[in-house]
Amino acid sequence: MASIIPSIPSKTRLSQLAQLSAKIFNNVYNPTGERTGNKILRKRLIGSTITGWYPHRIITLRKITDTFPGMKLVNQEEKLRLEEIAKRKKRGKGAPKKGQGKRASLGTKKQK
Amino acid sequence: MHFRILSQARVRRDIKTRETVAATELIRQAYRFITRNEQVHPRIRQHAQLMLNSFPRHARPSTIRNRCTETGRARGIFRDSRLCRYQFRLKALNGEIPGVKKAVW
Repeated sequence: MASIIPSIPSKTRLSQLAQLSAKIFNNVYNPTGERTGNKILRKRLIGSTITGWYPHRIITLRKITDTFPGMKLVNQEEKLRLEEIAKRKKRGKGAPKKGQGKRASLGTKKQK
Repeated sequence: MHFRILSQARVRRDIKTRETVAATELIRQAYRFITRNEQVHPRIRQHAQLMLNSFPRHARPSTIRNRCTETGRARGIFRDSRLCRYQFRLKALNGEIPGVKKAVW
């Protein structure tokens, strides 16, 4: 009778079995259930899907000049603005220095 | 229409967020793996945690907000069409969204 009932294998034998099965099925043998952080490595990277949400991208001249510094493109609007400022400064119509403006001088008068 | 949404600061911010997340994703995941791995020395894990904190705010994927690609609205967005519910309705009624038909019974 006793020979019919299968005897329970020992603990070491069971662990050997688990180790072997993990090896065969390419699993990690982790009997203590230690946290290895593998679930983070298992996740797919989402960067490529995320950036495509909006159909159109913002392309500014700055971005083009930054990526292709050899092209020597000129921002016409900015250039015109700076020229205008230089012209006004020549005629004495430039922006006042800090503390020399209308409001700043008003404040000093009141204090007196 | 698309230029209309690109002129909105919140949409531009979201675009920037997405770009930062994509750029920093790989290295962030590596640090995250180290912090969650109990086999690594605690001091190294703590250092990785500190490194994670040093990333800019927009490097976190949770700061991404799905916005309507037509109007920039942040709520009531259908993911499949990337539109808010009203734009979805308008386009669907116009027949611009394939496979969508108004239900009548």
